[in-house]
Amino acid sequence: MTRINSPKDLKAVQEKAKKDIDLRSGQKDMRITVHMGTCGIAAGARDVLAALLTELGPATDKVTITQTGCAGLCDQEPMLTLTDKAGGSFRYGRLDKNKVGQIVREHVLRGQPVLEYMIKC
Amino acid sequence: MSEDRKVGCTCSCGEEVSEQELLARLDGVLAEYRDKPGALIPVLQMAQGIFGYLPEVALKRIALGLNKSYSEVAGVVSFYSFFSTVPRGKHLVRVCLGTACYVRGGKRVLDTLKQKLGIDVGETTPDRQFTLEVARCFGACGLAPAIMIDDDVHHRVKPNKIELVLGPYRNGEAAKAERKVPA
Amino acid sequence: MNNVRSHVLVCTGGGCIASGALEVSAALREQLEKHGLQHEIKVIESGCLGPCAVGPVASVYPDGTFYQGLRADDAEEIVKEHLLKGRVVERLVHKTPAGQPVSGLHEIGFFQKQVKIVLRNCGVIDPLRIEEYIARDGYQALGKVLTEMTPEQVIAEMKKSGLRGRGGAGFPTGLKWEFTRKSKGDVKYILCNGDEGDPGAFMDRSVLEGDPHSVIEGMAIAAYAIGAHQGFAYIRAEYPLAVERFQHALKQARDFGLLGKNIMNSGFDFDIEVRMGSGAFVCGEETALMTSIEGNRGEPRPRPPFPAVKGLWDKPSCLNNVETFASVPVIMHKGADWYGSYGTEKSKGTKVFALAGAVNNTGLVEVPIGMPLGEIIYDIGGGIPGGKKFKAAQMGGPSGGCIPKEHLNVPVDYESLTELGAIMGSGGMIVMDEDTCMVDVARFFLDFCQDESCGKCPPCRVGTKRMLEIVSRICEGLGEEGDVEKLIELGKTIKDTALCGLGQTAPNPVLSTIRYFRDEYDAHIREKRCPAGVCPSLVRAPCQSACPAGVDVPGFVSLVGEKRYAEALALHRNRNPFASVCARVCFHACEDKCRRGSLDEAVAIRGVKRFMAEQEVTVQLPTVQDNEENARRKIAIIGAGPAGLSCAYFLARLGYRPKVFEAESQPGGMLVQAIPAYRLPRQELAREIRMIERLGVDIELNMRLGRDFTLESLRKDGYEAVFLAVGAPQGSNLGIPGEETDGVVDALRFLREYNVRGTAQVGKNVVVIGGGNSAIDAARTAVRLGAESVTVLYRRTRAEMPAFAEEIDEAEHEGVRIATLVAPLEVVQKNGKVTGLKCRHMVLGEFDRSGRRRPVDGKDEDFVVPADMIIAGIGQKLDTAEIFNGQALKVNRSGFIAADRITGQTSVPWIYAGGDAAVGPWSVVGAIADGEKAAVAIDKMLTGAEHAFWRENQQPDTEFDPDADPVQYPRAKQAMIPVSKRKNNFQEVELSWSEAVARREAKRCLRCDYRAPAGSEGKVPPCKQ
Repeated sequence: MTRINSPKDLKAVQEKAKKDIDLRSGQKDMRITVHMGTCGIAAGARDVLAALLTELGPATDKVTITQTGCAGLCDQEPMLTLTDKAGGSFRYGRLDKNKVGQIVREHVLRGQPVLEYMIKC
Repeated sequence: MSEDRKVGCTCSCGEEVSEQELLARLDGVLAEYRDKPGALIPVLQMAQGIFGYLPEVALKRIALGLNKSYSEVAGVVSFYSFFSTVPRGKHLVRVCLGTACYVRGGKRVLDTLKQKLGIDVGETTPDRQFTLEVARCFGACGLAPAIMIDDDVHHRVKPNKIELVLGPYRNGEAAKAERKVPA
Repeated sequence: MNNVRSHVLVCTGGGCIASGALEVSAALREQLEKHGLQHEIKVIESGCLGPCAVGPVASVYPDGTFYQGLRADDAEEIVKEHLLKGRVVERLVHKTPAGQPVSGLHEIGFFQKQVKIVLRNCGVIDPLRIEEYIARDGYQALGKVLTEMTPEQVIAEMKKSGLRGRGGAGFPTGLKWEFTRKSKGDVKYILCNGDEGDPGAFMDRSVLEGDPHSVIEGMAIAAYAIGAHQGFAYIRAEYPLAVERFQHALKQARDFGLLGKNIMNSGFDFDIEVRMGSGAFVCGEETALMTSIEGNRGEPRPRPPFPAVKGLWDKPSCLNNVETFASVPVIMHKGADWYGSYGTEKSKGTKVFALAGAVNNTGLVEVPIGMPLGEIIYDIGGGIPGGKKFKAAQMGGPSGGCIPKEHLNVPVDYESLTELGAIMGSGGMIVMDEDTCMVDVARFFLDFCQDESCGKCPPCRVGTKRMLEIVSRICEGLGEEGDVEKLIELGKTIKDTALCGLGQTAPNPVLSTIRYFRDEYDAHIREKRCPAGVCPSLVRAPCQSACPAGVDVPGFVSLVGEKRYAEALALHRNRNPFASVCARVCFHACEDKCRRGSLDEAVAIRGVKRFMAEQEVTVQLPTVQDNEENARRKIAIIGAGPAGLSCAYFLARLGYRPKVFEAESQPGGMLVQAIPAYRLPRQELAREIRMIERLGVDIELNMRLGRDFTLESLRKDGYEAVFLAVGAPQGSNLGIPGEETDGVVDALRFLREYNVRGTAQVGKNVVVIGGGNSAIDAARTAVRLGAESVTVLYRRTRAEMPAFAEEIDEAEHEGVRIATLVAPLEVVQKNGKVTGLKCRHMVLGEFDRSGRRRPVDGKDEDFVVPADMIIAGIGQKLDTAEIFNGQALKVNRSGFIAADRITGQTSVPWIYAGGDAAVGPWSVVGAIADGEKAAVAIDKMLTGAEHAFWRENQQPDTEFDPDADPVQYPRAKQAMIPVSKRKNNFQEVELSWSEAVARREAKRCLRCDYRAPAGSEGKVPPCKQ
């Protein structure tokens, strides 16, 4: 255990600890909603969610992850919606582990939407 | 007093421990607290934890150990309602008669318990299972009327359902929810 | 571990643990594991979130969904539906009073008006992890203080913040620190008072359990300010969990170097030791607490010297309570100005209250100081459960006092409460409803203080004992005239002479209840009656105690259960001749107090009564004690309403032959003039009046006092006593422009015209103003006479309408429109005829002296309700000039005849008064009771002794097995004729029950009157809960 020897040390401990409880304040740059209706789960949404968490790794801190029900586009399942800081909404469909990994690497970490997986409507 | 007299140990482990053993534990406490200012009350609290009550022999040992007169020790014991100089039952049933519990029917709960257990406040059932006491407020006012059995608070107790509350303790199966405190 | 996407915070405050929170969190963990979610979702046991009443509660983040009333069984659904699929489990979220589910904390009324400063972390963090406290700015203030501020600057900031001791007395915290700082001495102590002994207060427990580090940080800052290096936290032994968590927090703080030597390299050393209380209330007093830490009997010592000079082990010491310390870090972190922006000029910041007792949302609430009491109880607390009436809020525990409904508007701050005889205290706020006896409450607190008095000083030891003896005597029905005065005197002496705070404040609860509820003391002492139905010696059964006429309810109900209808009826008529009438029109206070109501629903006593009365074929006469001497004496009764006829009935049973004078052409008073036949069929009334006549009572009709005879002429004719029961026959004026217009009538006149003369004019569009029974009767009568639309306007809300709720419901079924929060402004007319009523929408404002929110003008524009007839049913009055006719009778403040409430005697010894004429429009059964009381008193005046043989209670010989479980039938419904079949006629609306239904309902009675036969053990009556 680290001894806190100054307000600076304290700040450092706080910054680290904040990450743990930040999801309770609900204010993060990015929100990813996984659609987990019956259709979604049947199509493998559960694996998508698990993959998302694995791929995000430490970056989970930056993202609010929620789930929601069916979006009415059952043939696109499993799908997720990513909302960025500016409020832009991106909907990805027919996902699998690999696609999720790519979305995390390119969109979440580098800010580059993966156009080929986005649902076109 | 014979050396192998058995006294019920109150840590609820069900073991019978000799008085000598318990006094030895008390000596350990005394050794630790001897030089601390204001040690008497914490020592008494621990002694009651060891013996389940405060027998005369323990009080004498404490007086000796802390270099106080027996009467001073006895005086302190008699002042605080938490200390008891008579053996208690295996389970301590305390009925809250704080304001909220009182206005929500705590008195009736107490009357029922007296009747069910067949004892008055401050007494212990002949089978040494239950001791009945009243208390002032456990801070569970939002859920009055409340009673506390050992360390478990039972709230919104209904007199006609009291047996449901007592039963598990009677049968020794009171499931104590574990409290998690990391070491 | 970093890829956690969701937190579930399960509240593990004391209340939720008692409700099973630990089982819930264990079940959640199990389910998460089962679904393989244990690595992405974390369950955290947090401190108290406040709403104990609906515990166990939990919040799910990041979405912030709030679940309540959880059970271990619910865990699976939450995990599967919410945590897996993101579907909120609606079944388990909070519902608005309208039944709408809301899931976010901020949407719930209980939280909306709260400002959480002290409780900022409670329920939001894991109290066992110092990291979470630090994450929420914990220990920032300590860091700032130790590295940037001098102790003097800290004290100056505290003084500026205006924080006052939250333990009760409200002494400015900064000032206390300054005194201790300035005191000479190398060794000083900082002490935390966690001996939260006030019954009803549990905020300190919650803070210690839910956010222990805030107290540690507060103590460390205080220690730095006063120059102490050692602190003691004195926590009561009744709070084992608080002790455990606090100790755990101390260890963590030491590990992080936030306690111990050279904290943050500032050179400041500080540590804290926990001392457990041992169950002595007096140890909450600061000097007693110190003697207790020293290892002695916890007796207080005289001040001065004050602890700031000579405290623990005679060293300068500063003691603050838990809540005060918990406020310190935020004040230091965010600044005194920020803190001072909450609260009032003299009482800054927020205060935590433990809301308990008869209130819907019990729990911990934190509000800016100065919020009106009514807002805390109604807006946050959600009002009184079960539709009961608010009576008082007890504040400040055994040292405090009661605040009655007249003062619901009081801003809750130190000064305002003191002015009303209560105190802020540690923040216990116990809400009491109409079922609480204030004398019993006083006895409770005296018993408490007596029990907890350390015995050192005689005023407290002996004085409180003496007071307790007197109050106990009063509760047992053995009170004497002058007892209250003795209590006041004793109380004042104790206040002035006791040694410590406990003794000085011990008389407060008594003095405060006397101040506001003197009438309850009087009822106990003079009438041997406990109006709330609590004191066992004075209450045989709550229903009987609630009945103004004292009818033996369990007696007649149990007789009905055994098919012994004639006996049942005789038992009823022993105390109230109008069994059939009351079976139809009584407001049944008995049912409101019925203990079965706490089990499921009250016994339908009125329905049982109706069935019983219907079984009578020929009227049976009650027991009469013939007395020739009495028969010769002349007694006049003015008014053949329920009060007059009841008086005549009871006088006749004592052998008198009273004469009743009635102004109208039919006997019955309001029963026949105002109450419509669809509620009370005329033959029922006639039957019971005939019974009274057959006892030798002579009723002379069309004889109006003041017109046909006077009180003086009665005296001349040899009448020895007169009972004035003339009612309140005139309608009150509206007091708005145009009320004399053609088409505006008062409700009583309208009802009398139809009920007595048989015809009445009715408009097409009728507007009725008022919310009482007369207004509703007039509206329903208008419907039956053919009005096309009938609208009732009332200026308050529906809940506050004085009319019986079931009558309002039926009126609506019959097509009457009820418009509430509307006040009339002006009658609109054309050519001298009513065309409409100009109205204004009202909104609810502050609480008025009746404890209700006052309707005040709303912002909307005024509007006109078209009408060709306006019926004013806003009140009744009595024209005393006409009836007194020169007699010097006193009137009371409301303009009715002033009469003693027990005897009915007026200021003229031979004239008695009762019913509406004396108390204003009240109730039928109240009038009947008044008649009985006057009969007893008149007899006593004439003979010098009391002969009311009917007042002796007989234990009924009906079967009852005290050990059997209550029968499980639900309350029987009252059947009614369909609306289409009643709208055009005056047929009785309510239908009768079958014998099976009636007897089954009778068996639902819990028999609170039952007393075990002598020799066996006392049976415990069923609990109110």
